[in-house]
Amino acid sequence: MKGLFDVELTVNGKKRTAADGATITTLLEELQINPLRVAVQLNQQILKRELYERTPLREGDMLEIITFMAGGS
Amino acid sequence: MMRSGSGLEHSVIERGDTLKFGGREFGSRLIVGTGKFPDHRTMQQAHEASGAEIVTVAVRRVNLDRTQESLLDYIDTTRYALLPNTAGCYTAEEAIKTAMLAREVGLSDMIKLEVIGDQRTLFPDNEELLKATKVLVKEGFVVLPYTNDDPIMAKKLEDAGAAVVMPLAAPIGSGLGIRNPHNIRIILEAAQVPIIVDAGVGTASDASIAMELGCDGVLMNTAIACAKDPVAMAAAMRYAIISGRLAYLAGRIPKKLYASASSPLEGMIE
Repeated sequence: MKGLFDVELTVNGKKRTAADGATITTLLEELQINPLRVAVQLNQQILKRELYERTPLREGDMLEIITFMAGGS
Repeated sequence: MMRSGSGLEHSVIERGDTLKFGGREFGSRLIVGTGKFPDHRTMQQAHEASGAEIVTVAVRRVNLDRTQESLLDYIDTTRYALLPNTAGCYTAEEAIKTAMLAREVGLSDMIKLEVIGDQRTLFPDNEELLKATKVLVKEGFVVLPYTNDDPIMAKKLEDAGAAVVMPLAAPIGSGLGIRNPHNIRIILEAAQVPIIVDAGVGTASDASIAMELGCDGVLMNTAIACAKDPVAMAAAMRYAIISGRLAYLAGRIPKKLYASASSPLEGMIE
């Protein structure tokens, strides 16, 4: 449910909401993702890890969170 | 059995024969994948048995429901260098984007560059591959492009700054072995960078043949992961690579049409 002050985002192709004032860091915490094992792309731009804490989530943000998975070729 | 295996390994170590590229050095000439294993635990044991020091990984979206274990829990990154790939990319643009994200994870600046041209054969799109290689070299990546067994293309990739050129032995996952050893030899003759055969190996002898030809290494995934016993196949590959390398360094005898006795002709009993 989207609260009055929540923002709606798309994370890895799926819609979700985040509380107003939430940052990339709080989103990763909520998703139980270790920030040292992922890379984040925000609205088509790669976001440096140092900026996670300072980057607030905004309405309509498109996020891609990637990691390493099993694969050869 | 273990003793003879480590003896074999020792004979390569004694020679100081290592794989060097991109300012780094590896004792093993075998690179293994992480895909298609029955489970992470088997993969981990196969990696151990293979003696490999480099493992390839795919770059994908994090699974948000957290039901799957993380692959990285099963790879000791202090022991294995990670070689992220751009598998599944069909354009230079996609591959470049994937490589940039992979580097941002912060565990590797190497990239196994794949730009696929066709879904059925998984053959590379060399035009896009060359384009992506140029960009990523400029961006400071250690680029290992996967290409056809085409000597002209191999040279172009080398000239574009690839740290290693990786011609296929046969289509990815086909297990057909080295389909064109003559082309691989021509590639090797001209190459100034290491040549690592990537894809198509089926069994240990295929890996040995690649090494006997003079290749600098072999990258494989399916042959190990989909073997009935992946851990045993990983060990087989480890020693096949070393045997092939030693045979190459030792210098094989030329092939002759007729017999040449290896026992003396004098002193025969009358």
